[in-house]
Amino acid sequence: MKSGQAEIMETSKGIQKSGLMSRRIAILEFILRIVAFFNTIGSAILMGTTHETLPFFTQFIRFQAEYNDLPALTFFVVANAVVSGYLILSLTLAFVHIVKRKTQNTRILLIILDVAMLGLLTSGASSAAAIVYLAHNGNNKTNWFAICQQFNSFCERISGSLIGSFIAIVLLILLILLSAIALSRRH
Amino acid sequence: MKNESTFIDVPAESSSAMKGKAPLIGVARDHTTSGSGGYNRGLAIFDFLLRLAAIVAALAAAATMGTSDETLPFFTQFLQFEASYDDLPTFQFFVIAMALVGGYLVLSLPISVVTILRPLATAPRLLLLVLDTGVLALNTAAASSAAAISYLAHSGNQNTNWLPICQQFGDFCQKSSGAVVSAFVSVVFFTILVVISGVALKRH
Repeated sequence: MKSGQAEIMETSKGIQKSGLMSRRIAILEFILRIVAFFNTIGSAILMGTTHETLPFFTQFIRFQAEYNDLPALTFFVVANAVVSGYLILSLTLAFVHIVKRKTQNTRILLIILDVAMLGLLTSGASSAAAIVYLAHNGNNKTNWFAICQQFNSFCERISGSLIGSFIAIVLLILLILLSAIALSRRH
Repeated sequence: MKNESTFIDVPAESSSAMKGKAPLIGVARDHTTSGSGGYNRGLAIFDFLLRLAAIVAALAAAATMGTSDETLPFFTQFLQFEASYDDLPTFQFFVIAMALVGGYLVLSLPISVVTILRPLATAPRLLLLVLDTGVLALNTAAASSAAAISYLAHSGNQNTNWLPICQQFGDFCQKSSGAVVSAFVSVVFFTILVVISGVALKRH
């Protein structure tokens, strides 16, 4: 009888311990989501507000560069805005994970959505990176000239806005791994 | 309930056809119920088949892009007009990344086999999920940066004075666009693979 009670105590302690662990994971997840949100919204705003007008102009043409001159950069802004909106909405589910103990179904839901958002964000960031590289270096074989010699501060800003996006990609990968680890713990 | 289902399964597993696998299955059943085991095994087999399909897609993308080059039938005294994938750094990255993805998929097949044999083990599942997520990011990066460049090659850009090269190099453009499509197919396969691993982790 006594040994049985001890066993029960032991298991309840184990459950408490694993509950504490999964709560820690949930809190870490919440924080990571907030950080990722600021990264994506930051790079969307930085890219979206970039434009440069050169101080000289001819009679007919004014030289100016803006993000929506290049379709890949437009896609970058849209993708970052969508992902940051998703991250804000997913904070509610992350909060539920902190409060509740049985969270398997919502975690699966978050894994699926996170993977989709990871794909969207990665494609936006890397297609923008390809175009930014081209703007910096140009390509001799295809006669595409480097435009960064003229539009210097424009190029610096669009390169900078890539950084936040790539940090957010790493954070999303970490979030997926955290959800998987939380799922694989025994309940 | 537990004992009953074990009893039912034993004669089925030890029939003459399954004799070779019987010990492994016995080990796997030690620590859990057998109902979700069958479900997880189904998922693991689906996972294996998806990996085979993704290998085909990834290697086809790498090979198509790697062999795409075109020499125009006219030339001047000094200049011969030809285009090949290594004229554009992004396409080089694409070939390398897709070859890496294909290699990873081949190497991940044994782990996938382990998840078929031991459907309830958590460690190989978690390992697969971690690696798959990383390679998914690599694959998506390669596919979409190549897509950005092929879009530029098709349409050009008026604002920056980048002219479309596809009017001259039509064949080259078609082949490289085909490779991009194939890479996106393998991205879709990877997404499904990650989701499957998540679902299988839930049901242990």
